[in-house]
Amino acid sequence: MSFANEPTLELRRADARDRLLVALDDLDNRLPLRVAPVIGGERGASEGFESTDPGMPARVIATAGRADETDAREAVEAAARGFREWGRRPAARRAECLRAAAASLRERRPELAALQVRECAKPWQEADADVCEAIDFLEYYGAGAVELERGPKLTQVPGERNSMRHEPRGVAAVIAPWNFPLAIPTGMTAAALAAGNAVVLKPAEQSPASAFALVEALHEADVPANALNLLPGFGDAGAALVRDPRVHLIAFTGSSAVGLEIVRAAAETPADQAHVKRVIAEMGGKNCILVDSDADLDDAIPAIVASGFNYAGQKCSAASRVLVHEAVAEALLERLAGAVEALVVCQAERFETDVPPLIEREAQERLRRCEQRAERDGRLVTRRSELPAPGWFAAPGVATDLPPDSALLREELFGPLVTVEAVGSIEAALEIVDSLPFALTGGLFSRNPATIERVVGRAPVGNLYVNRAITGAMVARQPFGGNRRSGTGTQAGGPGYLQQFAEPRVVSENTMRHGLVTEPGTGSDGG
Amino acid sequence: MTRDVALEAEVQRIGRALAQRFPSPARHPLRALDQRAMRLASEDEQIRAALFRLVDVTPATHSVDDLARHLIGYLEEISERPPSLDTALKISDTAPGRAALGTATTAAVRHMAHRFIVGESPSAALADIAALWRHGIAVSVDLLGEATVTPDEADRYAERCHDALETLAEAAGRWPERRWLERDSAGPVPRVNLSVKVTALTPLMRPQAPHLGRDDAAGRMRPLLRRARELDAHLHVDMESLDSLETTIELVLGLLAEPEFRRGPSAGVVVQAYLRDSPAQLDRLLEWAAATERGSPLVVRLVKGAYWDQEVIEARQHGWRPPVFERKSECDRNFELLTRRLLDARPLVRVKVGSHNLRSVAHAIAYSRLGGGADADLELQVLRGLGDELAEALRAERLRVRSYCPVGDLVAGMAYLVRRLLENTSNDSFLRAHAHGAPVEELLAAP
Ligand SMILES: Cc1cc2nc3c(=O)[nH]c(=O)nc-3n(C[C@H](O)[C@H](O)[C@H](O)COP(=O)(O)OP(=O)(O)OC[C@H]3O[C@@H](n4cnc5c(N)ncnc54)[C@H](O)[C@@H]3O)c2cc1C
Repeated sequence: MSFANEPTLELRRADARDRLLVALDDLDNRLPLRVAPVIGGERGASEGFESTDPGMPARVIATAGRADETDAREAVEAAARGFREWGRRPAARRAECLRAAAASLRERRPELAALQVRECAKPWQEADADVCEAIDFLEYYGAGAVELERGPKLTQVPGERNSMRHEPRGVAAVIAPWNFPLAIPTGMTAAALAAGNAVVLKPAEQSPASAFALVEALHEADVPANALNLLPGFGDAGAALVRDPRVHLIAFTGSSAVGLEIVRAAAETPADQAHVKRVIAEMGGKNCILVDSDADLDDAIPAIVASGFNYAGQKCSAASRVLVHEAVAEALLERLAGAVEALVVCQAERFETDVPPLIEREAQERLRRCEQRAERDGRLVTRRSELPAPGWFAAPGVATDLPPDSALLREELFGPLVTVEAVGSIEAALEIVDSLPFALTGGLFSRNPATIERVVGRAPVGNLYVNRAITGAMVARQPFGGNRRSGTGTQAGGPGYLQQFAEPRVVSENTMRHGLVTEPGTGSDGG
Repeated sequence: MTRDVALEAEVQRIGRALAQRFPSPARHPLRALDQRAMRLASEDEQIRAALFRLVDVTPATHSVDDLARHLIGYLEEISERPPSLDTALKISDTAPGRAALGTATTAAVRHMAHRFIVGESPSAALADIAALWRHGIAVSVDLLGEATVTPDEADRYAERCHDALETLAEAAGRWPERRWLERDSAGPVPRVNLSVKVTALTPLMRPQAPHLGRDDAAGRMRPLLRRARELDAHLHVDMESLDSLETTIELVLGLLAEPEFRRGPSAGVVVQAYLRDSPAQLDRLLEWAAATERGSPLVVRLVKGAYWDQEVIEARQHGWRPPVFERKSECDRNFELLTRRLLDARPLVRVKVGSHNLRSVAHAIAYSRLGGGADADLELQVLRGLGDELAEALRAERLRVRSYCPVGDLVAGMAYLVRRLLENTSNDSFLRAHAHGAPVEELLAAP
């Protein structure tokens, strides 16, 4: 299977930056965008709620129709119809549609990145990377579906013919977050479609416009209207989807609270539901970076800063907790604090911005409470006199001296706050990592092969990064997903992910009749 | 055409004359120094990796035992170990074995470092620097340091630069006169020469926002320029990876055009010939120089570029076209092209050619002479520890040569040291070919 990642823009070149600014200007002239529920190809009203610019909350980015439970029911019905057509198409034809959609996203890259800058306050570099990742998912799962259709090799013995294939499950409900407003909805939707399912997509209420662009692109690329439905809206619409007995599979990325609720609700199997719902969930993390005494702090500090503070820490993979060998703890803390104080907190549209505003007011308030707690329970080692306004900004911070039972050391913060603890050894750090209920990403800085091997063997995380930043997983290079309470252990953008969206079926045929093998060619180990 | 023929003949003549002054390849310092280690390293990728990782980690280890344990880890990753390395592994089974191994390794790494790094501080390096000057070789001092990640670190680096300028200026007053090192057609050439790095002067280097690092570094650079002017010293701003190029160029050209700095100090920038865009970058410099009235001409150091592997790997990881030439001959041809353009641009700029490649250097000298230029109007530069013999040969020919001397402690110097080792063991390196005894025709062949 041939696949190459979509190259990100080379933003160190001025002409690349200029093109983005032009796209932003164009977008601004078209605001607010209008986003409607799309059910069976029918567009509903586009009034009901708004998405706003987190950096300038008075600016409306999109007005969107708010899908309710009735819409959810109708969307599932449409999807059930759409499935009958889509699910029968051969994988190669489905892949063609996904590739065509990828091509149209590719053509609109600057515009789609600009949209994220506005709707989610995602800085350019990350916004561009998000669009590239969406393109990657479409290409990768398209190619993967063709491979999946070929089926795996089974052992063959004389007189029987064994084969295995994967059939689509049916209707997939895709519930996506705002923090990767195009890549994550695209990833889950593309996987579901590639495997032959019909989809009802419920994007986050903070970012309906990016999802709308995706649905448009897929419909234009010949995905049947019924096979892909969009429900802009809130939790009620998502909950209705999850409960609907005609839904076969739920792909979710988001908070642990909602994720576990989905797992629970999906387990309900009323008598008239002829299947067990499959849940594919990516949830929160409490991601630790371990720094051993032989680490090169010149590398470790920029990597920690990038992992903890890019996009204001609003990534499920973001670094939250640094566990550093006591021999270098003091130096690390001092340098990290200095580096964090120097970060540029500014609007996402500015190329120099390190830390953009948070997504919404509640997030800002939550982070403020975390900060207060850090000062009360321990010590906040970073100072920042003022924050830009308007916008939901939070000061990037580093906290230390926290008691082991502090909530700040156990809960996902999802904001620009990193804690630092000195440990006596890497073993002690591993004990801490092992005591956490989450296991999404983790990092290690060490130059000792034996230490690296030990940590690789013992860290339960889905994605371990050694001597590098712990965010920025790339499709096909770092399949991404967590274990324990961080997720259902599937890794997006990797081998094996598509299988989750399909139903395996095995056929074994007896090809011997009266001692005679009736099917030439069987009995060899082909298949 | 005849001009080209004449140039080529002159290149060969000068190249051979210089080569004759070299010690025989068998006595090449790279061979003499840790001969076995370097030979193993340049012949086996895995051993090379192990050696670099070892050198890199040495200063961060906390005891000889710790160092030995790292060494073991690296050796174990080599699939086909030569017997000598196997012996090392066996020794390391016991604590005394590890102590011996660790101690020997520390000593070897220190020994290697001292070839490239003149001293722990400018004052500690003064004796060596003065000796070079008396001998007829000028120096540029480079302060090694950890990466700058905080504003305090940038301030401390600037502070070290101030101290270095003062220490050097104070000492330089006592050096004897060396006319060919301190005067060219444009006037006096400062005795004190300091190379600085912009990434060390700001924690805000952002490739996608060059103005940020530029403005932040400018605040530390201005006082340095003032001090250099007062002390009659030359400040040279090194060029690092492409990520910092725009920041660096904007910073230097912007500051030197400020009215305050019109009359000095002498200052310079670097052009890296391995960059595909380097001809356009040279245009920009020359246009700037033509449009900017200054007391002392802009100094341009032409080099091939020290970040080749990094640029190629990073570009590949991002799916970008590498910004550097990918064939050595293209890079070398471009180097010669830019050399000629720079030499032709005199007296608008002062020209320094930084290379250890006999062909590249001979070409610069030959072209300058054929065009009627005075030898004093071309400065040749080498790196301490790598180009010592070339410097000696050039000095003997009464050419102006400057040795770039890094100063700093072992921890801070490791990144530098590893880069130099990489350069020397890479397949395309002139020095490697020379150390392996390649015949002079081959070494001098046109790229
Ligand atoms: C005084 C002095 C100052 C210097 N300052 C700087 C500086 O500010 N910034 C900086 O970057 N470097 C600087 N250098 C380092 C210089 O770039 C390296 O020493 C130089 O690249 C080695 O080139 P060479 O001509 O000595 O050797 P050669 O062996 O002829 O050339 C080696 C160089 O060729 C290039 N190369 C190698 N393989 C390939 C390939 N496959 N395709 C294309 N090109 C290839 C690389 O640049 C490599 O370093 C300086 C050097 C000196 C002497």
